[in-house]
Amino acid sequence: MRRIAIVPRALGVLALIGLLTAPVWAAGHPYVLHMLVLSCIVSIAAVGLNLMLGYGGLVSLGHMGFAGLGAYVAAVLMVDARWGFWSALGTAAIASAIAGALIGLICFRFRGHFFMIVTLAFGLLLHAVMNNWDDVTRGAAGLPGVPRPAAWRWGDTVISFGQLPNFYYLALAITLAVFALQYVVVRSDLGRVLGSIRQDERLARARGVNVIVFKTVVFALGSALAGVSGVLQVSFLRVAAPASFNMLESINTVLVVIVGGAGFLVGPAVGALLYVTLPEALRLANEWRLVIFGGLLVIMMLFAPQGIAGLAYTLWQRITGDRSAR
Amino acid sequence: MSVLEIRGLHKAYGGIQALDDADFVIESPGLYGLIGPNGAGKTTLFDVVAGTVQADSGSVRFGGQDITGWPSHRRALGGISRSFQECRVLPEESCLDNVLFAAQPKGLAACMWQAFTRNNAHRRRVTDEAMRLLGLVRLQGHAHTPAAQLSFGQKRLLELVSVFMSSPRLLLLDEPASGVNPALLEVLSDFICTMYAEEARAFLIVEHNMEFIMALASDIIVMHQGKVLERGSPQAVQASPRVLEAYLG
Repeated sequence: MRRIAIVPRALGVLALIGLLTAPVWAAGHPYVLHMLVLSCIVSIAAVGLNLMLGYGGLVSLGHMGFAGLGAYVAAVLMVDARWGFWSALGTAAIASAIAGALIGLICFRFRGHFFMIVTLAFGLLLHAVMNNWDDVTRGAAGLPGVPRPAAWRWGDTVISFGQLPNFYYLALAITLAVFALQYVVVRSDLGRVLGSIRQDERLARARGVNVIVFKTVVFALGSALAGVSGVLQVSFLRVAAPASFNMLESINTVLVVIVGGAGFLVGPAVGALLYVTLPEALRLANEWRLVIFGGLLVIMMLFAPQGIAGLAYTLWQRITGDRSAR
Repeated sequence: MSVLEIRGLHKAYGGIQALDDADFVIESPGLYGLIGPNGAGKTTLFDVVAGTVQADSGSVRFGGQDITGWPSHRRALGGISRSFQECRVLPEESCLDNVLFAAQPKGLAACMWQAFTRNNAHRRRVTDEAMRLLGLVRLQGHAHTPAAQLSFGQKRLLELVSVFMSSPRLLLLDEPASGVNPALLEVLSDFICTMYAEEARAFLIVEHNMEFIMALASDIIVMHQGKVLERGSPQAVQASPRVLEAYLG
């Protein structure tokens, strides 16, 4: 049994090697790298939502509204104010976090379904602002000309992020950092407090947890990560468009987290990869994505309510005969 | 300085007066029983003392401090630890993690600091104590079992162990014996006595199992219709005609 315990780690290392060498094995297929970058972007937002939903028990249906907020803050700063990518990214993350904290504080007055409806409403509201505030966001047509990060130079070596492999490594590095952050948060006293709020809020309170403070923090953190994802997306696609941050995208992010496995560290990665690649692999139009994911969700709810990561974990427990808690 | 001072508590739910001038003082550590017929206001009193319900009027003082307006998490950190009538544990966490959660720091700054320093010294330090207490209630073999897989009686014991882990000065136990089979009841009773012998704290125990509470507590407070009806030793309370009337009348 001890020898078998190495398998998940080995799989993780293999996946990491696969991702790191993608520009090599996918050389000549920019399409593959393109999809991997999109997966990275989706997974960053999904990590944010996983912290809120999977660990803190807060189901937000307006998550991509905060991604859009961050995206537009950065896009306007980069296009109109000529800011650099990194300072715009930091500012956007902070702006999303503050908006998340303030909006969260309003939403926490409601519970369960009502909480979800209020987050949905704020998501719609943020989207309406992006779509209609023509002077700043250029409205529904989108804000074109968002730059990639400035090239890095060491002597004669120049790394330009206009090239896909370089941008891929940048997106991958940010994604890995976000997953590391998720790990740090989840496997700590902070993560344990969040878990207690999800499992039994009354008990958490009776044990001394100031529930509102922790909910606000996780909402702010999740929104900040959504903002980072949004900035990366508009910099990658070079245009900020409101349609990327509408209600449908918010719901998709919830699906990504649930199908991947809410409350599992690898859940957002699994969900995002599946979400981006599955419809492509089946060569279906984008419109079918929702149908596939909807169908998948029904099957998941019936047979694997903990998502793919949860299913894998249960199977793993069967194989090793390990009955202990996660 | 008294441990707990309840003064003139009133609480109405619609037309029902759950607490009607409830008034008593717990002067010193000890095992106190709180009994009364159904609807006497015992659980409401617990909720008011624990801070989950705000009284309409009256005051609660804890260790000489007026805590009437404090939210429940602040009272918990201040040294009031409660168990629930319906028994609450974290279902997904293992028994050990349930107990360790009760002992861990709950402040945001402390939690974030721990997250980024990965400092587990506190956790390691309390693990021995957690395992010792789990051993006292014979759950050490289930230390790594998710709490959801325990029997109801075992969950009660787990909840009880967790209640001690925050080093409280006042413990509010809401019907700890209900739903627990006689064999586990003995374990539970021994555990409370052992913990009391180790450190004199104030226990306030709501209970319907008369045999259990009369053997355990040295001072019984009887509530009836939202007020304190009688108070005294188990013998005195059992002999009181007013108490008999409240229960039978």
